[in-house]
Amino acid sequence: MPESGELALVIDDLTVAYDQKPVIWDIDLEVPQGALMAIVGPNGAGKSTLIKAALNLIPRAAGSVLFYGQPYEAARRLVGYVPQRGSVDWDFPTSVLDVVTMGLYGKLGWLRRPGRRERAKALAALEQVGLVEFAGRQISQLSGGQQQRTFLARALVQDAQIYFMDEPFAAVDAITEAAIVNILRELNKRGCTVLVVHHDLQTVPAYFDWLTLLNVEVVAAGRTEQVFTLENLQKAYGGRVTSLHGGQVLAAGG
Amino acid sequence: MMGLERALIELLLHFITREDLNAFLRSPQHTATLVGCLIAVCGALLGTFLLLRGLSLTSDAISHTVLLGIVLAFMLMTGAGLEGDTASPWLIVGAAAAGVGTVALTEALQRSGLVRQDAALGLAFPLLFAIAVILVSRFVDDVHLDDDAVLVGEIGLAWANTNSHCFARCESLRIRPEDPAAQQTRHCVNCRELNISPRDERAEFIEVCGNCGVYTPAQAWSAGLLDEAPALVFFPKSITVMLALTALTAGFVALFYKELKLTAFDAALAKSLGFRPVALTYALMILVSLVAVGAFDAVGSILVVAFFIIPPATAYLLTDRLSGMLLLGPILGGAGAFFGYDLARGWLFGIFPLAEGIAALNRLFGLQLPEAWDSSISASVVLTMFVIFLLAWILSPRYGLVASGLRRANSRRRFEDQVVLAHIHNHQDTPSQAIELRAATLHQHFRWTPQKMSRVLMRLRALGFVSLEAGSAVLTERGDAHVHAFRNHMLVAHNIPDIDPTQS
Repeated sequence: MPESGELALVIDDLTVAYDQKPVIWDIDLEVPQGALMAIVGPNGAGKSTLIKAALNLIPRAAGSVLFYGQPYEAARRLVGYVPQRGSVDWDFPTSVLDVVTMGLYGKLGWLRRPGRRERAKALAALEQVGLVEFAGRQISQLSGGQQQRTFLARALVQDAQIYFMDEPFAAVDAITEAAIVNILRELNKRGCTVLVVHHDLQTVPAYFDWLTLLNVEVVAAGRTEQVFTLENLQKAYGGRVTSLHGGQVLAAGG
Repeated sequence: MMGLERALIELLLHFITREDLNAFLRSPQHTATLVGCLIAVCGALLGTFLLLRGLSLTSDAISHTVLLGIVLAFMLMTGAGLEGDTASPWLIVGAAAAGVGTVALTEALQRSGLVRQDAALGLAFPLLFAIAVILVSRFVDDVHLDDDAVLVGEIGLAWANTNSHCFARCESLRIRPEDPAAQQTRHCVNCRELNISPRDERAEFIEVCGNCGVYTPAQAWSAGLLDEAPALVFFPKSITVMLALTALTAGFVALFYKELKLTAFDAALAKSLGFRPVALTYALMILVSLVAVGAFDAVGSILVVAFFIIPPATAYLLTDRLSGMLLLGPILGGAGAFFGYDLARGWLFGIFPLAEGIAALNRLFGLQLPEAWDSSISASVVLTMFVIFLLAWILSPRYGLVASGLRRANSRRRFEDQVVLAHIHNHQDTPSQAIELRAATLHQHFRWTPQKMSRVLMRLRALGFVSLEAGSAVLTERGDAHVHAFRNHMLVAHNIPDIDPTQS
């Protein structure tokens, strides 16, 4: 169990490019153990790319990423990933319980099949996201919010130390948003570090205690109350953020 | 391969006499149906994952490019002085190489960023197929590789290409020049050299034995060299090949079920959990290539794609579970192969003789269509598979056209009911009641036709939700309860987890 005060994630000089065009550029980022951090920035800022490159899902042009001092291959068990909901085919012939159980495949390794213990763990995670009575449901019959909560349950069973979530709040209903926030706090209370790609500036101060503002490069990173300033937001979004009033962003475009 | 085949025959001989086994295998129908079913089982198992990953057409590409693998293997075998044979292990190597080559070439084209995935596939496989066709016409002269065989295969002839196994009285025979059975002929050794006729006195002769050599028991018996028949079993090579491929495919899917499922559903998660989606994809494609080669003799390179796509696509309409698809796909494919043979011989699903249908058409319209029915078996199998797909498409209990049509009509009816009930509920016991709820003019408020309104009202009255009082529609007690139940159902979101969003 990592001690507090330790760094959960250290990103050093990370650059990712498509065809020599940088998508993220020389990112340096240190995330302390136990942080609940939002990654915020305009469209095309490279938020998802940052996560995917950190998890070795896409090739890096340069730089290194360490999880609790280890490279990804060695720290795989400590890392949980919630991809964007649209990244999979929800007409796939499988049940909600099955999808959640997939989160345990990494621990099972090659060839070993999930058994009763895995089933119980998956049901417990579904209970946590309020979907337990949907366990046997075909996944195509879920609403968008329920799909997102299914993905969240799949990450929960991974029992990781550091979670990466790619736009979990995208196009979900108020109930799901509240459910996700509750789970983020629950994870945080357990001592997990959580990084969330987020697009709603209004809710940043309420939901997250750490914040990284990203626009290809890191604009600012640190505690939310220090980073969430009009000046920083304007640097990240250009002139589109016009006023910051009592923590409320007005007329934030993009 | 021969050893496995022999073990299998020995096993079978416990249950069936040798004569019966030979008679069974000699029937073109039995062998063709068996081979067709096995191809269908392999195809459906692998095709399920291709379908779910959106790679269906890759099987079409591979089934074409394996021709290149086959041709190259033939050329290598001929070069090494071996007889070309479509059941040779050399072909496994050639086919696997062709499959991997196709996928790698497609991906290289795609990665360049200059062509899209579908175009990359469309560029890669005709190229490899074209090379194969040129090589066939230039260098390979073999009965297995003529144009017809490449197109639709010859599953009807699968019974004839056999290995022989001997179980008793298995003397292999050697005939030497001094044996009485040897047929000696005289051969002039210098006639051609000196350009003289054998009658010329300068001609020199040697004795040549025309039938000397080593005979297997089967060869010895058919050459009439044995007095007593050896106990032989003639086993069609296609059955052995397809049995081995079925075992390989089923073993692969059973062993890597979990990994294949995860990779098909979410390749990114599979990768982040430490599995190797790319390696699994290549393994899948190699198996597709092997099955395509194994099925090449039987169904050719064009129709084999149907064995990969149609049964899984049918199963997809009938079940919600991957395990269900893997079970149902092979069964549906096997059924297609079974009834497909019947169709080729003129029987639709074993019930209806097509010849009579044609005869009836001829009688009715005075046509002169030939009444005999004998068509390509592989094409008939594909047609039958498609008919089964069509049945599922129309009749599937959950996703079929009929079911979803009924469901839509039903929900539209219920929606109309609710709209009318809500209207009555809102205006009942209000001052506007007399105007808004008069049955004769109710349709005008909705901009509906009078017919539609009277149909809905009739249904609501039959259900006991609405009654007519002095020409006005009035909710009954039951109707009132129904409206409230519906409002509760619609307005209160169900399944809210226990959350307090303000908690901090």
